[in-house]
Amino acid sequence: MEINLTFDLNVYSLLVLKKSAYRYINKFSINFNVKNQNVICALSFSNKYTADQCNYFADQFKKEVLDQDLRETIKNETEPVRNLILAHAFSKTGLVDSE
Amino acid sequence: MSKFQEIEFYKKPETKYELLPFRFINLSEDQLLLTNLVGEYYLTDREVLDDLVRHRLDRENSAYSSLRSRHFLYDEQTSIAKDLLKIKYRTRFNKLDEFTSLHMFVVSLRCEHSCPYCQVSRQSDDKIKYDMSKEIASKSVDLALRSPSKNIKIEFQGGESLLNFDLIKYIVEEAKLRNTDKNLGFVIATNLAVVTQEILDYCLIHDIHISTSLDGPRDLHNKNRPRPGRNSYEKTVEGIKLARETLGFDKVNAIMTTTESSLAIPEKIIDEYLLHNFSGIFLRPLSPYGFAIKTKKFNEYNAARWFEFYKLGLEYIIKLNKEGVIFREFYTSTILKKIFTFSDTGYVDLMSPAGIGIAAVVYNYDGSVFASDEGRMLAEMGEDKFKLGNVLSDTYKDIFLSDALLDPLEESFASSVPMCSECAFESYCGSDPVYHYATTKDFVGRKPESDFCYRNMNVFKYIFNRMNSDMYVEKLFMSWSK
Repeated sequence: MEINLTFDLNVYSLLVLKKSAYRYINKFSINFNVKNQNVICALSFSNKYTADQCNYFADQFKKEVLDQDLRETIKNETEPVRNLILAHAFSKTGLVDSE
Repeated sequence: MSKFQEIEFYKKPETKYELLPFRFINLSEDQLLLTNLVGEYYLTDREVLDDLVRHRLDRENSAYSSLRSRHFLYDEQTSIAKDLLKIKYRTRFNKLDEFTSLHMFVVSLRCEHSCPYCQVSRQSDDKIKYDMSKEIASKSVDLALRSPSKNIKIEFQGGESLLNFDLIKYIVEEAKLRNTDKNLGFVIATNLAVVTQEILDYCLIHDIHISTSLDGPRDLHNKNRPRPGRNSYEKTVEGIKLARETLGFDKVNAIMTTTESSLAIPEKIIDEYLLHNFSGIFLRPLSPYGFAIKTKKFNEYNAARWFEFYKLGLEYIIKLNKEGVIFREFYTSTILKKIFTFSDTGYVDLMSPAGIGIAAVVYNYDGSVFASDEGRMLAEMGEDKFKLGNVLSDTYKDIFLSDALLDPLEESFASSVPMCSECAFESYCGSDPVYHYATTKDFVGRKPESDFCYRNMNVFKYIFNRMNSDMYVEKLFMSWSK
C-alpha cells in the first residue's frame, strides 16, 4: 500500500521531514519528491499491514513532523548556549593531551 | 488626582527568558517528558511545552519556576544557570579519565554444565587448550594494574572459573603483590557446582566475593542449566548457603537469565530469590551471543515479550514492597540512579560513551584482550571485531589506543547518533555498540529497528508513568536510586 502526503516547504523543512521519516523506518519506506514549494512524501508499506494500520502510521508520521519541527526550533535557539556549555564543561579536563 | 502611582508602575518590568537546551518525548496522549542537557526532568502537557518554546510562558505559572530551577530556561535572575549546567555536565563525565575499573579474567572456557543459552560457547574438555596459562595471567595482571582507575575489580569468568582455581589463586596473590596504589577487589563468577570449603576458606582470607547464577525455581533452573546428575539447582542452593556461612551474607550475589520458559512465571522466580533472602533481582534478558544464537534460544522471544515479563515482575515487586517486603529490581535501580543522580553507575550497557574498554575489559584464556564480555562472546562465534590485541604481543598503549576500541566508542556516542541525539532518554541510556554490531553488523544500527532501543525506551516510559501515577511508587523508586 502507498500513501501520499504533501507538505509545504514554507511550513516544514526537508530536514524535519527526513528526521520524522527516520523514526518510522521500521514501518514504511519513503520517497521525497520536491515540486515547487511542496514536498510529496510517498509512504510505502509492506503487505503485512492492513489499510487501517497504514493510515494510523501515516497519522503518527504527521504528528511526528510537528514534534520534529518543535525540536528544530528548540535546537536552533539553544545551539549557541549548548556549544558554550559543552566547551566549558570539557575545558581543562586533562582529557586532551598537550603533546 | 491620586497620591499614588498606578499598580502597573510598581510591577517589575517583564524580562524575556531564554531557553536552555532540552529534549522532549510523549509518555502518553496528554503527558510529555522534558529532559535537559544533564537529565533533569519535568513532566508536563502540550500546552505548557508550546508556551515555553514560543516564549509565552507566564511567570506566574507554576511551571515557570519549576522549569527555571531545573535549567530549562533562564532569565535575568538566573543567568548562573549556564555555569551550573556546565558543572553538572562535567560531573556526569568526570569518571572518563579514570577508566577501566572492571577487569575480567577468563581463566578457563571449560564447563561441566551444558546450558543451551550459554553466551560464551563453553568447552567441555582439553584443559591445555582452554585454560589460561600463568604467563598470560601474569601479563594480564600487569595491564590491569596500569589502568588509571583507583579502584580495580578483578572478576574471574568462565566457562566455569573454579575449574582453574589454582590460576585464580596465582592471579589474586600476584595482583596483591604487585599493587602499589589501587583499591583491589575480587569476584568469582561461578555456578558453584564444584565449590568446596577449601576454596571458600581461601576466598575468606582474600576477601573474594561470589557471583552465581540462579534462574528461578528448581524445575526452571535445572531445565535451563543441564549438568550431569541434573542437579544444578541443588548444587547452586547448597553453594549459596555454604558461601554465605563462610564469607558472610553480603558477599554472595546471584543473577538470572530470562528464557522462554521464564516468561510466564516472573512471580515464582522472584519468590525463589525471596526464599533465599536476596535483596533484589535483575530481570535480565538473553543476549545475542554464543550458544544462545547457535541453539536459537535468543530468538525464542522478542523484546516485546521480555518487556511484558519485566512489567509483571516489577508490578509484583512493587506489590511486595507495599506489603512491607523490602526488595528491588536491579535494572530499574540502575536507571533510577541515572535519573535522580549524576553518578555513573558503571553498568556497561547503559553508558555513553559506551562502557567497552572504559568500564570493563576482558583478558581471554588465550591472551586475547576484548573490549567487553560480549565482545569475547562474539569472538567465540568467529567475529573478532572487538579484539583489542593480545597480552603476549601488545603493549598497554597498543591495546587501549587501538582503532578496535576507539572507532566503536566514537561512532556509537549517543549524543551524535541519529534519533539518540534528540531522544529525551539519552542521558539515561547507553549506546551498546557490541549489541548493535552483533545484530546489524554496524556499531550504531537503526534505532527504530533495534530491540535494545525498544526495550529501554519502554522501560524508561514505564518508570516515568508509574512514578507519575502513584506517589508510593515515586517514593519507592527514589529510594532505589540510593
